[in-house]
Amino acid sequence: MQKDLTKMRNIGISAHIDSGKTTLTERVLFYTDRIHAIHEVRGKDGVGATMDSMELEKERGITIQSAATHCTWKNHSINIIDTPGHVDFTIEVERALRVLDGAVLILCSVGGVQSQSITVNRQMTRYKVPRVVFINKCDRTGANPDKVANQVREKLNLNAIMMQVPIGLEGDMKGVVDLVKMKAIYFEGDNGEKIREDVIPAELMDEVAEKREELLDAASMFSDELMEAVLEGEPSEEMIHDAVRKGTLALEMAPVFIGSAYKNKGVQSLLDAIISYMPNPMDIENIALDIDDEEKEIVLSSKIEDPLVCLAFKLEDGRYGQLTYIRNYQGSMKKGDTIVNSRTGKKVKIGRLVRMHADEMEEIEESGAGDIVALFGVDCASGDTFTSSDINYSMSSMHVPNSVISLAIIPVDNKAQVNMSKALNRFTKEDPTFRTFVDHETNETIISGMGELHLEVYIERMKREYNAEVQVGAPQVAYRETITQRAEFNYSHKKQTGGSGQFGRVAGYMEPLEEGEYEFVDNIVGGAIPREFISSCDKGFTKSLEKGSLADFPVTGVRCVINDGASHAVDSSDVAFQLAAIGAFKEGYQKAKPVLMEPIMKVAVEGPSEFQGSIMGSLNQRRGIIIGTLEEGDYTVVEAEVPLSEMFGYSTVLRSLTQGKAEFTMEFADYKQVPKSVADELIEDLRKKKKEQGK
Amino acid sequence: MLKEDLILKNPLRVLSPADQGKAVAPQMGLVMARAGLGKTAILVQIALDSMLRGNKVLHVSIGQTLEKTKIWYDDIFQDIAKGSNLENATDVQDEIAPQRMIMTFNEDTFSVAKLRERLNDLIEQDIFKPDCLLVDGFDCSSSPEEILTDMRALVKELGLNMWISVVTHREDGRMSDDGVPAPCHTASKLFDTIILLQPQKDTKSIALNIMKADAGAGLSGKSLNLDPATLMIIEG
Repeated sequence: MQKDLTKMRNIGISAHIDSGKTTLTERVLFYTDRIHAIHEVRGKDGVGATMDSMELEKERGITIQSAATHCTWKNHSINIIDTPGHVDFTIEVERALRVLDGAVLILCSVGGVQSQSITVNRQMTRYKVPRVVFINKCDRTGANPDKVANQVREKLNLNAIMMQVPIGLEGDMKGVVDLVKMKAIYFEGDNGEKIREDVIPAELMDEVAEKREELLDAASMFSDELMEAVLEGEPSEEMIHDAVRKGTLALEMAPVFIGSAYKNKGVQSLLDAIISYMPNPMDIENIALDIDDEEKEIVLSSKIEDPLVCLAFKLEDGRYGQLTYIRNYQGSMKKGDTIVNSRTGKKVKIGRLVRMHADEMEEIEESGAGDIVALFGVDCASGDTFTSSDINYSMSSMHVPNSVISLAIIPVDNKAQVNMSKALNRFTKEDPTFRTFVDHETNETIISGMGELHLEVYIERMKREYNAEVQVGAPQVAYRETITQRAEFNYSHKKQTGGSGQFGRVAGYMEPLEEGEYEFVDNIVGGAIPREFISSCDKGFTKSLEKGSLADFPVTGVRCVINDGASHAVDSSDVAFQLAAIGAFKEGYQKAKPVLMEPIMKVAVEGPSEFQGSIMGSLNQRRGIIIGTLEEGDYTVVEAEVPLSEMFGYSTVLRSLTQGKAEFTMEFADYKQVPKSVADELIEDLRKKKKEQGK
Repeated sequence: MLKEDLILKNPLRVLSPADQGKAVAPQMGLVMARAGLGKTAILVQIALDSMLRGNKVLHVSIGQTLEKTKIWYDDIFQDIAKGSNLENATDVQDEIAPQRMIMTFNEDTFSVAKLRERLNDLIEQDIFKPDCLLVDGFDCSSSPEEILTDMRALVKELGLNMWISVVTHREDGRMSDDGVPAPCHTASKLFDTIILLQPQKDTKSIALNIMKADAGAGLSGKSLNLDPATLMIIEG
C-alpha cells in the first residue's frame, strides 16, 4: 500500500560543533514521544543523549556517526539524520545530505555563522538541499538572533527571513512571537511540553509589525496570490505558508526560527516548520543512471508500483551483524524479497527490515519509496545501489575527498593483530575516506584519512569496540610526486641467461597531465609493438606510478605516450614488455624534472580581534599564505592556506597563544609543489631512514 | 603571451611606467564613480598589475566578504589570461598568489586608526610587508579632508603607494574648481592621480576620465575605457 508521501519528511540536522544539534534532536524525540526522559549530552545522570549511541561519543560529547532515527509529529512521519559537526567527519555529513530531502541548519545565537557552518552550507548547496535555519542557544548571554540572521545573509548567501521574534533573550527568554499566526507562544511545564498561545506583548508590537512586513515582502515574491492579498488587506495563514514553502523549496529562501533547545523553547515550532516548509520525497527530483543504456539519466518516480531503486548510505556493525542504512527512492521492498546490488551484480535476500531509532530498532515488514530504513545481514559497501532484478540503475556516485594524512599502526600482540584486521575491514567499508594498506617495505599497516582527529577516533574505536590495542606512529603527510616537463624515453629490455630470453623495446615520451592522475596513449603505427603487448606497457607504467624515484611517493599527473618500439618473435612476452615499460618510465622520469607535491589545507582561525596579530604570526611561521582576514566587531577570522605537514599539533599552539579563546577548522584545498629547500630536507631524511632500515 | 609582455602591454602603462614601484612612494590614487560602475574591477586590475611586477598588495575591502573579494581576483585574472593568451596561466597565478593579502572590515568598525594598527602588526611581525595598499568601499563622505589627510600620513609613514575607491552620488552637485566631484572635492590636492568613471551613452562604454595624473604618466592624448561587459580596462 502506498503511504501518503506528502506526510513524510527526510530531514538532516547539521551545524557547527557544539551548537547543540544533539541536544535539539533529543528534544525532538521527547516531544514526539519517542523517548520518555531527556538526557543531556554532558548530563550529570551519565546516560548521555539518546542519539550519541557510541560509547566514545558519549564520553567526548561529540557525535561521530550519523544515527538515523524516526519519529511522528502531527500525523507526519519524520526521518532524522543526526550528523557530525567536526570537519574531519564531513564524509558523514555529505552522505547524509545525499539521501535527505531537506535540512535544519543550526546556528548558535552567540557564535553565529562559524567556519564549519560555511563548509556544511556549501555541501548543502552542492546537493541542492532546501534548508530552514534554527538559531539555538538564545538563553545564552550575548544572544543576538538578528545579528546571526544577518550573518546567514552575508556569509552563507541565503535569503534568511525571520519567522519569529523572541520574547526576551538570554536569561529571561520566555517564548517567541509567531509572525504568521501573529500570536505569542510560550513553552511551559517541566520540559516545555505545554504550549500556550497568547496575545503579543504590547512592547514588542513595533518590532513584530516590522518583521512581519519583511516576511510578507519576501514571501510574496513567490506567490502572486499572496501579493494581492497583502495589498488588499490581511493574507491568510495558509497563503503565507504556501509562499514560504515555495521559496524554501526553490532554495531561494531560508526561513529562520529561534529558540533554546536546552531550555526547551521553540522546538515544537521548529517541528511545525519542518512539516510546513520542508519538502516531501515527491518534491525532490532524484536521478539514477541506467547502466544498460550508456548511463543515461533517469528521473525516479517515488511510486511504489515502479521497480525498486535504493541507496545504501551508511553501514554499521551492530550487535546483531552488519546494519545497512538504506534510502528508498522508488518502488518498495518486503521481507523475503530478492534485490540486486548493481555494483557487484550480486543478488541479496532481505532477511530483516528495521526502522532505526538511535540504537534501538523496530521491526517492519515493508518499506516504500521515500523511506529511510535499515537492512540486516546484507553484504555491501557504503554508496552501493540496490534495485529489483528487472532494472540496472545506479544512483550517481557521491563526492569522496582524497585522504591527506596517514599513520602507521602496529598491533601490540597476536590477538590485537587479528582484531585489528577485523576492525580495519569494517571501518573501510563504513567510511570511504578511511583507507588502509600494508607498506611492503616496512611491513607496517598504514591507515589514512581526513585529519588527525578522524584517525584518532578510529584508533580509539579499534581499542574499545574490537579490543585491538595498537601502537601508533607519527602522522605522515600524503606527499605525491609529479613531473614538470616533457621527456622522451627509449628503453630496451634484454635478458638472455639460459632458458627463454626476454626482449622488448618501448619508446615515446611522458608529459605533465593538467587534470587527472594518469593517462596512457598508444600512438604505435605499423605494429612496432604487437597489439597483445600494448596493455603490458600500460601495466608497466601503472606499476611505476606506485613509487616515484624521487622520494618513493606515488606519482600522479603523468601522460605516457608510446610511439615506437620493437619486439622479438620468440623472446617477447607480457612480462618483457612490462619490464621494458618500467625501464622506460625510469629513464623518462629523471629527465622530466620530477617534483614533490604536498597537501595544502584551507585553514580558518576564529578568535578575538586582539589576537589577530599572533594568529597571523603563527600561521606565517607554518609556511602559511594568509589569504585574508575578516574583522567583525571584536571577532576576527583569519583564512590561510597552510601545508598539512606544518599543522600537526596546531590546536595546542593556538590554545596557548590565545588563552583558549580561538578555534580553527581546516579542510583539504589542493596539492602544491613543496618548496625546494623543504623538499631537499625531506628527501634527505627519507634516505637516512632507508639506510637505517637497511642496516 | 609571457608574463613580461602582459606587464608591458597592460593599458595601465598609460598611468605609470612598468618599472615604477615603491621608489616613487608615497603616491595616492583615487578612483571615483557612481555605485555599480566598476570601481572594484579597476582596483583589482591595478592590484594584479602591481603583483605581476613583483609588488606585494594589501587589499582592504570594506563591507565585502573575503570570499567575494577573492572571486574578483580569480575572475579578473582568468579574463586577463584568456584575453592575452597567457602561457602557463595557472603557474603565474600560483606564483603571484602569495603577494596578495585581503583584509575585510565591517562598514561601521573600520577606521584609519584601526588600519594603522593592523598594518603595523603585519609589518612588525614580518608577516606581510605591502608595497601597495588598496582601500575599496570606504565611505569618507562625512569629513573627507580629515580622513584622507590621515590616510596620506599613514602611507607616507609606511612608504606605500595607495589606491582608494570612493562612491559619488548623482544628487550631490558639489565640485572642486578642477571638476573633482563630491565627496572628495575638497581633498583633490591630496591625490597624485584621480580617475573618474563616466558612462558614455553614445558608445555604450565607460570612460576613465583621468582628471589628474602622476608626473611620470605617459598620457599624451591616450585614453582608457572600461569594457562594460567584461569590466576590463582597454585603451582608446
